[in-house]
Amino acid sequence: MEFEFTAVRPQESPNDVDEVRKLLAASQLEFDSPVQVLVLCRVRGRMVACAGLDHNVIKCVAVAQDFRGESLSLRLGSEIVALAAQRREFHLFLYSPPHNRELFRGWGFYPLVEVPDLVILMENSPIAIQRYCDSLRLRRKPGDRIGCCVLNANPFTLGHRYLVERAASECDWLHVFVVKEDASTFSYDDRFALVAAGVKNISNLTLHQGSDYIISRATFPGYFLKDKLVIDHSWAGIDLLLFREHIAPSLGITDRYVGTEPLDTVTSNYNVDMRYWLHDATSCAPAVTVVELPRASIDGIPISASTVRRLLAEGDFIAIQKLVPTSTLKFLQIKDAATPLAAGGANRT
Amino acid sequence: MKITKEAIAGTLESSDLLVKVAPNQKGTLEVVIRSEVIKQFGKQIRRVIDDTLRKLEVSEGSVVVEDKGALDYAIRARVQAAVLRGAGSEELDWRQL
Amino acid sequence: MRKARRSMLFVPGDNPGMLSTAFVYQPDSVMFDLEDAVSPREKDSARLLVFHTLSLPAYKDVERVVRINRLDSEYGLKDLEAAIRGGADVVRLPKTDSAEEVHELESHVARLEKECGCRVGQTKLIAAIESASGVVNALSIATASTRMVAIALAGFDYLVDMQTKRSGGSEPELFYARAALLHAARAAHIDAFDVAYGNVDDDEGFLREVQIAKQLGFNGKSLIHPRQVYLLHRAYAPSEAELMYAKRVIAAAEDAHGKGQGVVSLDGKMIDPPVIKEAEEVLSRADVA
Repeated sequence: MEFEFTAVRPQESPNDVDEVRKLLAASQLEFDSPVQVLVLCRVRGRMVACAGLDHNVIKCVAVAQDFRGESLSLRLGSEIVALAAQRREFHLFLYSPPHNRELFRGWGFYPLVEVPDLVILMENSPIAIQRYCDSLRLRRKPGDRIGCCVLNANPFTLGHRYLVERAASECDWLHVFVVKEDASTFSYDDRFALVAAGVKNISNLTLHQGSDYIISRATFPGYFLKDKLVIDHSWAGIDLLLFREHIAPSLGITDRYVGTEPLDTVTSNYNVDMRYWLHDATSCAPAVTVVELPRASIDGIPISASTVRRLLAEGDFIAIQKLVPTSTLKFLQIKDAATPLAAGGANRT
Repeated sequence: MKITKEAIAGTLESSDLLVKVAPNQKGTLEVVIRSEVIKQFGKQIRRVIDDTLRKLEVSEGSVVVEDKGALDYAIRARVQAAVLRGAGSEELDWRQL
Repeated sequence: MRKARRSMLFVPGDNPGMLSTAFVYQPDSVMFDLEDAVSPREKDSARLLVFHTLSLPAYKDVERVVRINRLDSEYGLKDLEAAIRGGADVVRLPKTDSAEEVHELESHVARLEKECGCRVGQTKLIAAIESASGVVNALSIATASTRMVAIALAGFDYLVDMQTKRSGGSEPELFYARAALLHAARAAHIDAFDVAYGNVDDDEGFLREVQIAKQLGFNGKSLIHPRQVYLLHRAYAPSEAELMYAKRVIAAAEDAHGKGQGVVSLDGKMIDPPVIKEAEEVLSRADVA
């Protein structure tokens, strides 16, 4: 049996993608964009297995019915893992329907969280999440009310500032995380620096680096899809369950603070999901209270990062000055002088 | 040898093993093994891995092994390959194998 | 007693499952492949697997051959070092086109044997001929080194070079290459291996080809699947009559030697050395599985 493995880029091989769609359809799956590279397996010209990679997430895995049996699947797994390694991606995730858990366990993937009867998020390490939680536990602080904010801060505005200040004032301690994915107009390093500058005088606050475990391509792919207006509830559940079951207990978080989101449907739906998954849904992990604070506004208009980005594209620093702290303003002015921003970047706040 | 970057070697297929190495800033050497035959052969697998790392003079880093029933010789070979890739090294001192 | 070299089983150097079990099929020689079976990305890892496989006790009684990459590739010399240090019995050089390439290989082998404290001369060589140039230079390749124990014809690449392909049946496209290789091997007093048969599901076709090879005088064949080992050994086995006669010849020779007699006779006839040699060769093929 000659198994022929190849790797292709979907954009360059539309015929292959058609065959992949058929193979996926036979397993009741859809082609799950985006995918940067596909591993294909053919026997005598016929495609019998496929697996795709989107950065560090494995997707679009299918094996033809008549070839199901361990060894082809393990070869496929080896090929996609090796391909990911060539692309310098070593910490991998995948979403598995519950009935395929054992298959992916054979690929060296371990369950992280499960939306019951729907989907399991798995990672290719038996210990990575534990190590991460161990490192969080070292930064635990005592108190009855421990809060948390997760910010993309693209860029950090007075709205973010208000949220963080209010949260810190209501809690014994506040943990702030910055979303790590570099899928926003401003890079992670810049966003993190702006948050750090913007919160530095708040004494009961710990600023944490982002990670693959909190609003990342792995845990919340819908967050990064520009065109999707409605998030599949199962996606949000994954990210939120991870937070509730692993991150919150490690830091003792009791309250999660979010701003109301009038301008962005994706995020406003996410806040609704948040209440369900963090608080209302049954789970072995303790409930986390979701505190939704009304957005800070200037002249009756809610402050949002997308507005700031729009104003930046227009070069309207007078308006921007009202919406951001000095540290952010200085950064934007320097950045604008150096490289004028192209209009229409990714719009997550 | 010093592991300076992440690397893998091996496969998920039967009789093989997948070895992942990574640098770690803690100055410790952490070895984690998962195997279908951990009960019967866990100690032996651990011994072979430790011995292989010791001969390569690896004292620091993270080594995670997903074993699929590999024999000792394959464990040695794959651990060595992963370490060499992780050390970015082409130069081999054959006495260290 | 002359050891047969009928079957050379190819084993991919990057597959631990196959590397640790190939001996079970009892081939005369096992060839751990670092060349075509291994993708560029895995060359380094496979090299280490083969290095360690060479010292497995299971292969103590099997001739261990390592097919290295060509010396002009980035892998060849490293493969060679792994093979020598690992204690390979034979190194197989792919795509050999000239005697110069054999000389170059030999000088590296000698150097490495010295470096690792082995006996210089202990590693043997096999040259695989895979092109028109190789076929044309077969004799000089076969005689290029005293370490050379066999030459092998590699059909796939050769036919590509000849701008044709396999026809099945009597295969005129391989005739000249086979003949040239055989003559070179015989003139050099070494073994000759026939091409590998790629269709593992076609036993009949395989056996047809084996008959042709055997009739032409090939000592053995390169095999790419374990099930071909038994089929080949059975096809090469001597008949009852041949075997019985060979045993009697050997017995007569040993008897004469024991009595200090210079002349060997059987059934009233004189037995010349070539007959004894042939009897030894027949006996070496008696062990089928």
